[in-house]
Amino acid sequence: MSFLKVLVKNIVAGPSTVAYPFGEPETPAAYRGRVAFDAGACTGCRMCEYVCPAGAIRFDERDDGLHFAVWHNSCANCGHCAHYCPTKAIRLTNDWHMAHLQSEKYALADHAVVPRARCTRCGADIGYGTDAIVRHAYRGVARQTEHLARLCPDCRRAASIKGASL
Amino acid sequence: MDTFQIPVGPLHVALEEPMYFRLDVDGERVAAVEITAGHVHRGIEHLTERRNFWQNIVLTERVCSLCSNSHPQTYCMTVEAIAGIEVPVRAQYLRVIADEVKRVASHMFNVAILAHIVGFESLFMHVMEAREIMQDVKETIFGNRMDIAANTIGGVKYELDDARVAWLVDQLDRLEPVIVGEIAPLYRTDRSILSRTRGVGVIGRQDCIEYGLVGPVARGSGLDNDIRRLAPYAVYADLDFDVVTETDGDVWSRAMVRLGEIRQSIGILRQCLAKLPKGPSSLPGWPAIPAGEAVAKTEAPRGEVVYYLKTDGSTMPQRLKWRVPSYMNWDALGVMMKDARISDIPLIVNSIDPCISCTER
Repeated sequence: MSFLKVLVKNIVAGPSTVAYPFGEPETPAAYRGRVAFDAGACTGCRMCEYVCPAGAIRFDERDDGLHFAVWHNSCANCGHCAHYCPTKAIRLTNDWHMAHLQSEKYALADHAVVPRARCTRCGADIGYGTDAIVRHAYRGVARQTEHLARLCPDCRRAASIKGASL
Repeated sequence: MDTFQIPVGPLHVALEEPMYFRLDVDGERVAAVEITAGHVHRGIEHLTERRNFWQNIVLTERVCSLCSNSHPQTYCMTVEAIAGIEVPVRAQYLRVIADEVKRVASHMFNVAILAHIVGFESLFMHVMEAREIMQDVKETIFGNRMDIAANTIGGVKYELDDARVAWLVDQLDRLEPVIVGEIAPLYRTDRSILSRTRGVGVIGRQDCIEYGLVGPVARGSGLDNDIRRLAPYAVYADLDFDVVTETDGDVWSRAMVRLGEIRQSIGILRQCLAKLPKGPSSLPGWPAIPAGEAVAKTEAPRGEVVYYLKTDGSTMPQRLKWRVPSYMNWDALGVMMKDARISDIPLIVNSIDPCISCTER
């Protein structure tokens, strides 16, 4: 077969490139772009930090809560964090617009604080993301369960014995 | 006639990657070749001993760009062998799909570059344009055009629902006629391709055995050593495909093997998509990885990839060692380039589908 046929076909079909930056190129839904983090859904298990091959995810435990940071320039967009996150608090968006000036390279990071959960009765520290864990563990959550989950073990014991009046 | 030496490289021989050739030439003919590697050595084998088993899945994917799926898959197979993990059947099908998508894109890239070196730019552009179908498949199904991040220990990280299976079949329906009806016949019959590639860079079957050559380079000389057939992994034993071989052992034969394998891979993809069983695509939970050692091998686009893993019960490998297909194939250039014309050197180098990235891990 002659290549002329292919050439004629290609001339008729027109260019196969997209008009970027004058037109928006198509980005598939599965595209692994910039990492996004939802502090409200995080349980503080730090699995994402463990599996991150580039060390792009760092956690730092402070008085006001668990500080989360992701360095987008280190991120390899491999999707390990999203795959292994039990509550899907971390995910990869379709955003690939990551071009930036050299001077901005250390600013290309996102921070968030996962607040410490406090016992609603005595105010004791009961870790992180208790609501997120309960939502992850049970299909539906009764108000009573929700109430008990927000108590420290001592207050929960006391509340259980009393019949957990809400 | 005068003999003299010319340096080729370390930049720009067919691919813009560093490899240094010192050629002893006798007029227009090559008398001897000396190859010097090591310009971009990255020490990845050592780095794997400083990272945990999960981090290493992503690190091994960076060993090679065009075989990037074969490395994490083979690595995961060694971990799974040590931990005694049974990979779900659906995950094994999904692994084969990922593998074959990568193989089609890799082979198309190599045959496109052949046209580019010959100077047939319009054919180069045509093959690359057809390859975009597979690039779009990678981006749409896996989320990236090169590093598809499909594998994890105990399965895969991507899912195919019915709509995506149907879309993937559509893409294969778009690609197959271009390969079978346009591209393969052009490489088989076009005069400018044939005159530059037939009888060039010849290596015989016996030399292939002696040099331990693998992949399409060996199969172009009639040496059938496809790991998918000889030591089937995943679900290759249940799939129907031919191992493509040619007999002449020249640049053209190696290109024809790759074009034939593209067609076989499309057939494998169709079978996998039709047979794809229901079930989990990865293991739930978190496996413990005890002390032990294991070897696994797969057929990467460039040939056999072998991984050896030794663990000591900690969270990191004690030793991870791999053998890549390009490593042996480089050495065969000495045979292929003997008495070749200087102008054919880029074509011969490209015909082994050289991967400096994995040679220089």
